[in-house]
Amino acid sequence: MVTRRSFLTATGAAAALALTGNLPDLVDAVGISHRTDKRPLFTLGVASGDPLPDAVVIWTRLAPGPLEPFGGMDDRTVKVEWEVAEDEMFRRVVRRGTAHARPEYAHTVHVDVRGLRPWRHYFYRFRAAGQISPIGRTRTAPAPSDEPAVTLAVASCQAFYDGFYTAYQDVVRREHDVVLFLGDYIYEVGVGPTAGVRNQAVPVDFAGEISTLDEYRARYALHKTDPDLLAAHAAAPWIVTLDDHEVEGNWAGYVSEDGLPHDDFLVRRANGFRAYWEHMPLRLDQSPDGPSIRLHRHLRYGRTADLSVLDTRQFRDDQTSTGGWLPPDEVSTDPARTITGDAQERWLLDTLGRSTSRWNVVAQQVAMAQLDRKTGPELELPMDTWNGYAASRDRVLSGVRDQGVRNFVVLTGDLHRSVASDLRVNFADPSTPAIGSEFVTTSISSGKDGVDADATGRALLAENPHVKYQNVQRGYLSCRLDRSAWTSEFRIVDRVVTPGGTASTRATLVVEDGHPGTHLA
Amino acid sequence: MLRRLALAAVPLTLLVPAVAVATGNHVEISATPQPVEVVPLPCFPAGKVMLGMTNTGRKPTIADMRVSGDSALTLSRHQFSSYLPVDQLVKAPLEITVPRGTAPATHTVDLTVGKERLEVPVVIKPVPARDNLLLGEQAVASSTNGNMRLCGGVDGNADSAQWGASGWHDNTKGVFPDTYGVDFVQTTTIGRVVLQTLDSTTYPAAVMGIRDFDAQVRTGSTWTTVGAIRGNVQGRVTVTFAPLAVDALRLVIRDSNDHGYSRIVELEGYSS
Repeated sequence: MVTRRSFLTATGAAAALALTGNLPDLVDAVGISHRTDKRPLFTLGVASGDPLPDAVVIWTRLAPGPLEPFGGMDDRTVKVEWEVAEDEMFRRVVRRGTAHARPEYAHTVHVDVRGLRPWRHYFYRFRAAGQISPIGRTRTAPAPSDEPAVTLAVASCQAFYDGFYTAYQDVVRREHDVVLFLGDYIYEVGVGPTAGVRNQAVPVDFAGEISTLDEYRARYALHKTDPDLLAAHAAAPWIVTLDDHEVEGNWAGYVSEDGLPHDDFLVRRANGFRAYWEHMPLRLDQSPDGPSIRLHRHLRYGRTADLSVLDTRQFRDDQTSTGGWLPPDEVSTDPARTITGDAQERWLLDTLGRSTSRWNVVAQQVAMAQLDRKTGPELELPMDTWNGYAASRDRVLSGVRDQGVRNFVVLTGDLHRSVASDLRVNFADPSTPAIGSEFVTTSISSGKDGVDADATGRALLAENPHVKYQNVQRGYLSCRLDRSAWTSEFRIVDRVVTPGGTASTRATLVVEDGHPGTHLA
Repeated sequence: MLRRLALAAVPLTLLVPAVAVATGNHVEISATPQPVEVVPLPCFPAGKVMLGMTNTGRKPTIADMRVSGDSALTLSRHQFSSYLPVDQLVKAPLEITVPRGTAPATHTVDLTVGKERLEVPVVIKPVPARDNLLLGEQAVASSTNGNMRLCGGVDGNADSAQWGASGWHDNTKGVFPDTYGVDFVQTTTIGRVVLQTLDSTTYPAAVMGIRDFDAQVRTGSTWTTVGAIRGNVQGRVTVTFAPLAVDALRLVIRDSNDHGYSRIVELEGYSS
């Protein structure tokens, strides 16, 4: 019998024997102990993601020097043991095995743990070179026929230099079943020597905009030096998708916003995708093939929810003009225009059409509801969002209406503001019925502290009858789905430019089962 | 018994890392120019070399280049990793610097990708004679925007068209004053300061350039204003004064024509 205490303090051969007793593991642990570098290996924590009823991905990376070249590792492959248990003490281990942390994957480890039971909490940890990782907690998805209440946290946009990730303390405290992250996990622009508001020493290597794989990898490591982020990964499985800053601000399909030539941009995109997959708890199905990645995917939470995760960057047409707030023009209203690409659009409508779940959730990047910020009859819309791809939005929302999709809810990031809206096919006519709801989560840190309402926020409420709520502070969205209602609590942190901010519910919005559209509780 | 088994197995463990090495077999390494010339001044525009990897195999790959140099050299990167399509040169910049006072000599930087290796010669040059006494000296600023370089205003490039790569601006939009200048390592006589603020066809000085600034020099710990410009709309502005032996020189920028950032393409200083 191994107690938790003895496991966590044992090292080297003794621990290897105690854990598994088999020779290959023992040999490897001792072999690696010849490393002269004795620093901690699990500096970037652990993570889990994409839960299924019988499976979940667990993740870690070995990085004794997270901000150093190669994370402080040499070019050897390292064996990493893992185990999954029903209890935090690891007395009831249900799965264990050995994985390889390979240099060509930046010594990251992804294990697709199968054979688990539905809707259960599990605990997991890794061991390499006699060192034990922090313990992560995860939860599988419910069985297909079950319909439990589900809690989820929705987050996006965590510019490192703009603020502390205090919101994640609240994500952990409120014990969500799953965390959805909707993009801008990193920012590609330079980070100064004191990391903006953080006053944290950052090597000069981080000062420039990134484009090579080593630079993207180092940027993930930098963001993962925040302990609140690591704690949130260790507390619940994450389901993630990327937006623009994981590659380059406002990139669109094959088009670089920095004006990089096509071939150079595809290499940069491939580097961004590679580092993204390496550092996220994603399955092999999501592993990029050079400049292509399959991020749109379907996950089920029993009969409670069907979740369609989108990628609105890789297959979109280029933004009209600058992608800023502009009046609609012949480009943004071109009927052939797409933000999803044709294949993903068909897949989405098929997936929604086949669903038998109570809540049909689309987790994606950019605002879908019409967001006019210009006073009076003229429109001024954010062209980087579905607003700049009107025909694409019409096809999706018409498809939702025509197929009678039940309880359609869109979850969105990107804007650095909280917005709750009704969705309708024709936003210009408030008398037409709502066919769903959209909840835009604000940023974790991007934009610094923010304010309750700015000019744009006030205009959004005044000009758009379908917009029910807005706020421009930092935070995340805490949701609960059950048989009678969807409840979204906009959790707002009073400050992020200094540590120690406090989270509270700024507003609660509800969607009642069978009644499309949202309202303040 | 346990210990003996373990030791016997160590060589097997060392054989494991085959994969990363194998990918290097089809990667060609390049570096341009060669030799790399380095001038031992902190902001001098030398020591720049473009590293390259070309995948000469049949399939795209991921490659990791390790960059190492003599201990005399400071390298801006020790790693260059990238996705490599077939037959496409993929590039990344490396900057090599050496401490002030480093004697002329030849060194090498080693580039390795798996078994491939390239030795790049690095020549340390003597500090050239300079009329512009700010050229290459250590720049000091109140703040520097993340996309700009602290050295960008004293790197000898006064071309507004290359502003993005070779200029400087602060990181406090709409907040003034900002300061930018040079700390000399020895007392230096200055009688004329020339500012090249941003002034291109796209971004004319009257719209984006520095509008109000004071030129100041420091002797010991005392700053003295030697010239004050207000309402400037020109790209190139000269401030002349009775030459002084000074320890530092700076501009205190009080406003720009867009009231946003203080944009310096180049700041120069002359003895008269």
